[in-house]
Amino acid sequence: MKEVKFSLREMAFAALFGAGTAAGAYVVIPVAPVPITLQTLFLYVAAGLLGGRVAALSQVVYVLLGVIGLPVFAGGKAGLGILFGPTGGYLLGFILGAYAAGKLMPSNGVPGAVRTVLALAAGTVVIYVPGVLQLCVVAELSLVKALTVGVLPFLLGDGIKIAAATLVTIKLKPRMEQRLS
Amino acid sequence: MSFLLGQYVEADSVVHRLDPRVKIVSTVMLSLLILGASAPHCLASALLLGLVMHLTRIPFRAYLKAFRPVIPFFALLFLLHLLFTPGTPLPPFGAWAITVTKEGLFMGGLVVFRFGLLVFAASLLTYTTLPSDLVFGLERLLRPLKALGVPSHDVAVMVFLALRFFPVFLRELDRMREAQAARGRVVRGGSLGLKIRAARDLLVPLAWSTLRKADTLAAAMEARGYGNGPRTYMRTFSLSFRDYAALFLLLLLAAWRLLCGIQA
Repeated sequence: MKEVKFSLREMAFAALFGAGTAAGAYVVIPVAPVPITLQTLFLYVAAGLLGGRVAALSQVVYVLLGVIGLPVFAGGKAGLGILFGPTGGYLLGFILGAYAAGKLMPSNGVPGAVRTVLALAAGTVVIYVPGVLQLCVVAELSLVKALTVGVLPFLLGDGIKIAAATLVTIKLKPRMEQRLS
Repeated sequence: MSFLLGQYVEADSVVHRLDPRVKIVSTVMLSLLILGASAPHCLASALLLGLVMHLTRIPFRAYLKAFRPVIPFFALLFLLHLLFTPGTPLPPFGAWAITVTKEGLFMGGLVVFRFGLLVFAASLLTYTTLPSDLVFGLERLLRPLKALGVPSHDVAVMVFLALRFFPVFLRELDRMREAQAARGRVVRGGSLGLKIRAARDLLVPLAWSTLRKADTLAAAMEARGYGNGPRTYMRTFSLSFRDYAALFLLLLLAAWRLLCGIQA
């Protein structure tokens, strides 16, 4: 198979948004019932601004950062063990979700708010599918229990983040095309 | 700083000197072995982990520190199994209108024990390996994926760049929060709409500075001729006797596990 080629710009964007995703995991905004972090916010913004390929790559970088030991996974965890642990499915979900959300964005021009919200929401669903499946299998929970602990508490935070990321995408996309080469 | 950059703990030990590739492979293998292991296999893995942790000459409380952030998750997982596993009820709890079963107690304990071992195994890797050596190991291990079209070196470089910029981001996030606070923006409390606007006001400058930084970085790398000519490393490794010995030990454990699996 032919090696996938990334341009230097794509590499730089993916690397920095990967680092941003990791740093975002440290910013906790207190909202009931579970505090939300800025981590997936970076995923949403990457998907909105950079397209599916680069957004997915940025999440690959984020996951690998955690794998080599930077404590950037939820709750300050790190390491390969987490990939195989109960919450590991979400990490795969981040990569797939970023790709899906980015693919659903229009490839050129300024995206509309409705389109952006729908694309990011669809991406969120893609994040949860492998996440919940692995939670079921590894933690040996039933599907209903896994949904109760693994999806439900985060939905409000996801909504807030999708709304914020949409505002950011609409604001920055024109500026990006105008001012960055 | 060492905490942020992969929590490397400086010490002179056999484990520190192992080839990073061997350490990454061992961690993956051990994680897979621990996954779904029965109680005796868990104990065997725990003994092996304890032995290796002793060999690292890193004080045990350093490992315990890795535990602190995951304790709430452990507690939740334990309670879920304790309260929702069907089986023989334990007598003292019947009076409190909750059922705690013998099976639930055992399952909860085992799941948490397994997960704890995973945390130990992961911290073992990062405590004893320099981040730059991990990138080297990662690149070499990803190399076979080249057949599938994965640009292993580019991926390793991106991870290294992200590693370099991670602390920069943390500082920047802090600065922007302070800038917001100085302008009277309150994030705690307030309506939903206010929260969304607070997140946006934090994120627009942050995302923009990320995009600009990436743009500059790409230009700087291009100017320095990145991607032209063959790649080299400052430090390289070759497999020695102790690397093979470590792999052999792990294979023994895996073989034992497989044999038991066939009998069962």
